Amino acid sequence: MARHKKYESIEDSNPALDISSLIDVCFLLLIYFIVTSTITPRETDLMMALPGESEGGDPPDIDPMLISVESSGTVYVGAGPSRQQMDSKIDERNLPLLSAQLDLYSSTANAANETPLVQIFVNEDTKQQRVIDVLNALAKYKINSVTFTDLLDD
Amino acid sequence: MSDSKLRRASSEADEDMPMDMSPMIDMVFLLLIFFIVNATAIIVKTDPKVKPPIAKNAEPQKNADGRIVVNIHDDGQFTAEDFKTYLADDKAIAAYVKKQKQRHEKEAVDSKLHIRGHKDAVFKHARKAIRAAAGEGVNNVVFAVYNKEL
Repeated sequence: MARHKKYESIEDSNPALDISSLIDVCFLLLIYFIVTSTITPRETDLMMALPGESEGGDPPDIDPMLISVESSGTVYVGAGPSRQQMDSKIDERNLPLLSAQLDLYSSTANAANETPLVQIFVNEDTKQQRVIDVLNALAKYKINSVTFTDLLDD
Repeated sequence: MSDSKLRRASSEADEDMPMDMSPMIDMVFLLLIFFIVNATAIIVKTDPKVKPPIAKNAEPQKNADGRIVVNIHDDGQFTAEDFKTYLADDKAIAAYVKKQKQRHEKEAVDSKLHIRGHKDAVFKHARKAIRAAAGEGVNNVVFAVYNKEL
């Protein structure tokens, strides 16, 4: 009897921790991470300011670069007789020809200590993705002074 | 006699041994911190019907302050941030922008139009929203995009 009591006392002094709830929570966390990382990608920002925001001060010495985007997705630079066709492949996101023009223009503006200015005319039936492609090319060269023109829209 | 009393008292104490809650509390705090961080990482509510375009040079969303969210569906319908309130026309968009702007002014925050346009929507709808916002004095525009192909 005395031996039995001694054995019981030793068993009670080493209680086992129940870790089942801990494992439950760990699995819950794991599942949550897997689901959120694959289903909901994070959105990012492409910013621009409308003309009203950049009004005031001296007029810039540098001519703004005019970009037009047609409903077919073809991108043009310039206006009138000097208008040049740039990228026309609708599935191409990088717009290499426009990027080359923007690189040249932003380098020239920076060399003259001027802020590069861009005006964009977009045909009303152009898809949103194509306009974003152009804004994406501008963001690559840190061109923030962007305005949308409504020359032929109304 | 006193020895047996002591043994009985010790046995009762063993039976009422409290469970160690510290790992559980640790995990609960971990969960709480994770949810808080995750909740701030998702800046605006996203309408699942709108699939934004892709732009690799876009910047990560830093804060939600002053954003006036307008969702543009591929069929040209506009919805507010809760994606349940439909904005029928220019006037409805302008009224929505005005109301949100007034709310931001009370919080001393600059307003900006946050356009979540579907990649296949035509641009005239985005222009309509930009014009309506400009009419209410909101000149900063943010286009919501993904920075990688899904």
